[in-house]
Amino acid sequence: MTEINIAWYKIRPKYHESIITWFLQFCAGVSILVTLGIVFILGKESLLFFREVSIVEFLTSTKWQPLIEEFGVLPLLNSTLTTSFIAMAIAAPLGLFVAIYLSEYASERVRNILKPILEILAGIPTVVYGYFALTFMTPLLRIIFGQNTVDIYNTASAGLVMGILILPLVTSITEDALKAVPYSLREASYGLGATKLEASWTVVVPAAFSGIAAAFILGLSRAIGETMIVALAAGAGPNFTFNPFEAAETLTGYIVRISGGDISYNTVDYNSIFALGLLLFFITLILNIISRKLVKRFQEVYD
Amino acid sequence: MKKGISLFITVLLSTAGIFAMGSQEEVKSDDVKFSWIIESEDGMLPGVNPLKVEGDIITAGSSTVFPLSEAMAERFNDEGYAFNITVDSIGSGAGFERFTVAGETDISNASRPIKDKERLAAKEIGRNPIEFRVGTDALAVTVAKSNTFVTDVTLEELSLIFTSEKWNDVRADWPNEKILKFIPGTDSGTFDYFVEEVYDKDSALILGTSDLQMSEDDNILVQGISESPYGIGFFGYAYYVENKDVLNVLNIDSVEPNRENVDAAAYPLARPLFIYSDAEIMKSKPQVAAFIAFYLTYVNEEIVRVGYFPVNDSVLAQGKQAWLDAVNGKY
Repeated sequence: MTEINIAWYKIRPKYHESIITWFLQFCAGVSILVTLGIVFILGKESLLFFREVSIVEFLTSTKWQPLIEEFGVLPLLNSTLTTSFIAMAIAAPLGLFVAIYLSEYASERVRNILKPILEILAGIPTVVYGYFALTFMTPLLRIIFGQNTVDIYNTASAGLVMGILILPLVTSITEDALKAVPYSLREASYGLGATKLEASWTVVVPAAFSGIAAAFILGLSRAIGETMIVALAAGAGPNFTFNPFEAAETLTGYIVRISGGDISYNTVDYNSIFALGLLLFFITLILNIISRKLVKRFQEVYD
Repeated sequence: MKKGISLFITVLLSTAGIFAMGSQEEVKSDDVKFSWIIESEDGMLPGVNPLKVEGDIITAGSSTVFPLSEAMAERFNDEGYAFNITVDSIGSGAGFERFTVAGETDISNASRPIKDKERLAAKEIGRNPIEFRVGTDALAVTVAKSNTFVTDVTLEELSLIFTSEKWNDVRADWPNEKILKFIPGTDSGTFDYFVEEVYDKDSALILGTSDLQMSEDDNILVQGISESPYGIGFFGYAYYVENKDVLNVLNIDSVEPNRENVDAAAYPLARPLFIYSDAEIMKSKPQVAAFIAFYLTYVNEEIVRVGYFPVNDSVLAQGKQAWLDAVNGKY
């Protein structure tokens, strides 16, 4: 019966099939072309920038003010990393614990309530998070640490709120990683007399390590690219500081401020935003490649 | 963010504008009639009946002039104008860029006179900017209400404040605390004006300073200044008036920014406010001519409420004469 069906299927002319294949290939091709186009534009415009500014100065100088020929990216990069690491300091542990709870402890009913709530968190527009940082988190920090210690615009507030923003992302990927650990491993550890906590913490989490690491790295790369929160709450001037309570503009914040004001084409500050864009692109690209590698390795173990 | 949204809307509108302009190029400006003319109110410009004005108007530019142009646009709408008028607050420089390079706007708001190179750029796209003086601003240097140690500075101290790191670097008895500076962005006419008056056009001094926050959005500056006793910044007087409850304005060389001192030319940071348009635009788009006539006729009734200072009748009359010259033959 089955054999006959296959034969019948094979001799039928498959015009519609080839149209569908062609259409799907076209869609895939478009997305690749768009990516290539973006990379091309980024590279072309940045080249104009690096023709005038040495790459050494760009990567080592600690002052950024293109209008007076100061082209050190470090202040911007530094505050991007500060906000992102603060965000990860919130999202990584919290995300891991929530994921452990959801995958190991929560009953079906609890999970059905908790997961949609987490998804709502992911659905809040980032501009709302930005105002939340400015009107709730910053005043809170200023009450706790003092008005004069904490500036009105500061990286800590932006970072903390960004942590909440990426929490759902980190949680759901981590939970997937934990769920993918075969049940037999848990049973084996129960068999050896482990409690639920011991099984989760010493068997499941280490087994899912590469998946969890991938979740953290994806979260980090999301945080590095985040724009609206830092543009609103982190400050509007480049500032090379390690103090999270001071205002300091991030890479994305600078790009959005400069491009928002309609700058003139073919000036160095116009080209500078492409160089910054390219830098951001490379950072997130590298992080994404690392996380892909990790996920792959982790899949190979259990599939 | 407000800016982002308005930017998006403007992009939409200006794209529509470009299409509209494309089709309008066919229409000879000679064929266009000013159907909105009614009896003159001031004996100079024709009266405007906003109910009869048709077509959209696109304006952009200075955030300082923004509250004034917005008030005039609102009044224009209240009196019956039924189309869209956009007023974008993007800075004088950016406004001129749109007016002279892209040619997307009908009117450019500016808190400084147009520069020669901007005039040249305009010529290249066939525009010849006409200047209309609409008022005077007293650039307000402000600190938070919680700042109790500064009330009066000299111009020299002012230039020191925006380039020094700590307050006691400027005056020994001021606190040993960082000066948190909040200033308009480099696209802004206010920035240009300040640099010209205080730093003799050398922007490197102020741009190279520490703890500097820049924004084209004056409300961001207001919030930054008002939240710390060690913050300081400057912007158009209207933004001070609007935020009097959280800000103190400084006297410069012991002169308070107020109507009296601005009229007597005693306040050192008083500066003119302008709108710009072009004769060809005014002739081919009667709605633009109508709005400018309306603006010049009623600006002195609105300007004090907005927070700026009226110019005297003879200066206003020069603008009205420029309007009459521009639409020569139409009225």
